Amino acid sequence: MPIPTPFHPRTSALCTSMLWKDWAGYHAVRSFDVAHEREYFAVRNGCGLLDVSPLFKYELRGPDAAALLSRMTVRDLSRLAQGRVTYLCWCDDDGKVLDDGTVARLGEERFRLTAAEPTLAWLHRLGRRHSLTIEDHSERTAALAVQGPTSRTVLDAASDGTLPPLRFFGIAPARIRGVQVEVSRTGYTGDLGFELWMDREHALTVWDAIVDAGRDHRLVPMGLDALDVTRIEAGFIMNGVEYHGAHHCLVESRKSTPYELGLGWTVSLDRAPFVGQAALRAELARGSAWATVGLRYVWDEYEALFARFGLPPQVPAGAWRDGVPVYEASGRQVGRATSGAWSPALKANLALASVRAPYQEPGTRLEIEVTAEHERHRVGAIVTKTPFFDPERKRAP
Amino acid sequence: MSRAYDAIVVGAGHNGLTTAALLAKAGRKVLVLERREHPGGLAASEEFHPGYRSAGLLGDTGLVRPSVIAALDLPRHGLRLHEAPPTVLALGDGSHEPIAIHGRLERAAEAIARISPRDGQQYRELAALMQRLAPAVRELLGRHPLDLVDLESERVWDLGKRALRLRRLGRDDLRELLRLPPMSVAEVLGERFETERLRAALCLPALLGTFGGPEQPGNMLELMRLWCLRGPGVLGGGPMLVAALRAAAQAAGVELRTGAAVTGLRVGTEGIDGVRLEDGETIDARLVAASCSPRLTLEELLPAGLLPQRLEHRIHCFRSRGRVAVVHLALRRPPRFAGEPAEFARTGEHVTAIERAFDATKYDELPAEPALELHLATEGDPGRAPEGHAVLSATVYFVPTRPRDGWTDGLRERLGDAVVRLLARHDAGLPEAVVAREVLTPADLESRYGIPGGHLFHGEHGLDQLMFRPTPECIHYATPLPGLWLCGSGSHPGGGLSCAPGELAAQAILASS
Repeated sequence: MPIPTPFHPRTSALCTSMLWKDWAGYHAVRSFDVAHEREYFAVRNGCGLLDVSPLFKYELRGPDAAALLSRMTVRDLSRLAQGRVTYLCWCDDDGKVLDDGTVARLGEERFRLTAAEPTLAWLHRLGRRHSLTIEDHSERTAALAVQGPTSRTVLDAASDGTLPPLRFFGIAPARIRGVQVEVSRTGYTGDLGFELWMDREHALTVWDAIVDAGRDHRLVPMGLDALDVTRIEAGFIMNGVEYHGAHHCLVESRKSTPYELGLGWTVSLDRAPFVGQAALRAELARGSAWATVGLRYVWDEYEALFARFGLPPQVPAGAWRDGVPVYEASGRQVGRATSGAWSPALKANLALASVRAPYQEPGTRLEIEVTAEHERHRVGAIVTKTPFFDPERKRAP
Repeated sequence: MSRAYDAIVVGAGHNGLTTAALLAKAGRKVLVLERREHPGGLAASEEFHPGYRSAGLLGDTGLVRPSVIAALDLPRHGLRLHEAPPTVLALGDGSHEPIAIHGRLERAAEAIARISPRDGQQYRELAALMQRLAPAVRELLGRHPLDLVDLESERVWDLGKRALRLRRLGRDDLRELLRLPPMSVAEVLGERFETERLRAALCLPALLGTFGGPEQPGNMLELMRLWCLRGPGVLGGGPMLVAALRAAAQAAGVELRTGAAVTGLRVGTEGIDGVRLEDGETIDARLVAASCSPRLTLEELLPAGLLPQRLEHRIHCFRSRGRVAVVHLALRRPPRFAGEPAEFARTGEHVTAIERAFDATKYDELPAEPALELHLATEGDPGRAPEGHAVLSATVYFVPTRPRDGWTDGLRERLGDAVVRLLARHDAGLPEAVVAREVLTPADLESRYGIPGGHLFHGEHGLDQLMFRPTPECIHYATPLPGLWLCGSGSHPGGGLSCAPGELAAQAILASS
């Protein structure tokens, strides 16, 4: 039975659709309205306000905090400057990904790790010989994502004084209605956006301040359905969808490495030992068997397929995440699409897919299974560089 | 680049010396580094009171491998064996006449039959069964480790040969070989013997290495190991064994440095580069064999993160909860126990009393009445005490590894008092004869000898920890770190004065190059 997040009094009052899901044991809104479109368009044209409190959050303090995180994850956190956040993943000894998340350096010896899955035991196991304290802040820290083109304006208006200037992936303290919060320029929508981290007892004060400030800036509370579409447009992979944490996999073929997930850019190999280092080094030398790519359905073929049945093209109402086979021209299966969505912003049918390495080049034509009138067919899908949607404002100063 | 030593052995206990001597005999230039001021480890004789020396902590020398004695020509270096295993007195709780369990089977059976004719016959039969099972137990615990998981082709062939040898046992014995090891000693002895203090005395040695009381399933394998691999033992005990090993090692050219504590292993791009000592000195070697515990070797001597985390975790989980204490007593006169004089004796009224003694330690408390394994050190070498005086060492079954408030001086003295009080049941005048005593709790054993948890075998002899000792990655003595080997009691086939891990590790090292 899920429990409420610190924002539940506000979100539950607004959730007229009664569409909820269980996110890490919390009640999380799928969409406030019966359809998520309004929330989606708010993110791309105004601003969405999303409760991300169910994220697992750990605070690490002490002289060895950087060393432990550098040993656990694929990144060298000693090089992360104070006031910066970084995205990364962590692996087991075999270089198979366990989870992905972010690390923020809040002080010289103070870090926050976010994760999709409970990670305290893993931190403790690896931290046995390190000098630091590890605290699970998952419950005590509430988190809000404010995402979209007007998000900076909204936060500026909501802040006491002005919002500190934040570069992409920066984090700084701020004050909202007297409440001390940390604001990071991060998010899961691939747009200009921020995340706010605060003590749970002040959660509603901050929510109210942002909703009030957002009234003039097209701010709309959003749920996970809209988020799912935006994260696919942004090409972000998701634990449990694009990959499965190695601890949960019964068979080797289900596990993935950072290189196979397109996270090779996060891996810093040549440094002090970290979990999975030897296996990742060997994989880099050998080459990976799989790659994660973006796919764009060939619209004309898609339309033609449905036309054969006298139907208009049926695009999915929301994001989907049940695996769909992907083939090469000869009909041999070369991978699977792991999730996909119709992108209203791009007017394109998109998918993220895991394909055999030789098929990862952008422009490669593959075929993807489409069911029309209960018949299985294949239509063309072009390997496309992600992010599909990448507005300049995301990184702009 | 020339290197001063081909190999460095960490620790000069019986296993470290065995590995060092065997490597040196094969032409390697070997340095042994010992943290303490004298070699010998747990087997070393130590002066615990001016003029009184112990015979070390491990009284049982019956398991010393004949192959080590032969390979190192130990008799030439002063080693003498008993003609028969030493007699052990089963003292019970002092209210009955002790039973002399002689080293020679017939004499033991006769002595037991005087108390219970049925038990005398049962003793003969059990001894005969153990003798028949001995070749099989030797296949399991007397040779290089069985690896049922990582089957390389040559090992499959070897495994097949070893399995065929088991078939020769015949159906009835094979059944017993499979039936007995998972059982508890209390169950097996209970099936056979009716005399309570005999059961108590027979079960005690199996409890030194395992965790749990006599009712603990699986500890029968330990008793089988002790029965099946037993030889006559070394005259003068552990101290004479390590003296002979040291002489053999030095004759083979081994260099021994005492007072040289290794505080870290140096690791280069290709593996082990050498060691670092407490005073900062570094010594180069591409091969290091560590006879100290696997935990110490892989957790404390290596920087974190160097080994796969799975191995680090397994080493961390390698159980070594020491549940015995050792009390050395300096006595004005030899103890006067009823029955014939003997070097070894065991107290314990019945198996249940010993089980109760273990129960208390589960709750981190001292038991009301521990059982004692007694070793009259001056019987083996009268020179360990002034003329006419004696040294009696008691291994106390059981004490908590970490009492609730830690091992305070007060608790240590309470334990010493309890031991003397128990002994007074068997020799009323003994308390007055005590000149001095030394109480070594698990915490003392840990800090003095560097054994995690104060476990005398570097790790418990649970069924799992005998099968994959210390971890599946390190079962063949090599570690994943090139050049780093394990050669102590934490490796197959386990602890005690057998020198087997030392010998098998040396063989593995030599076979690898």
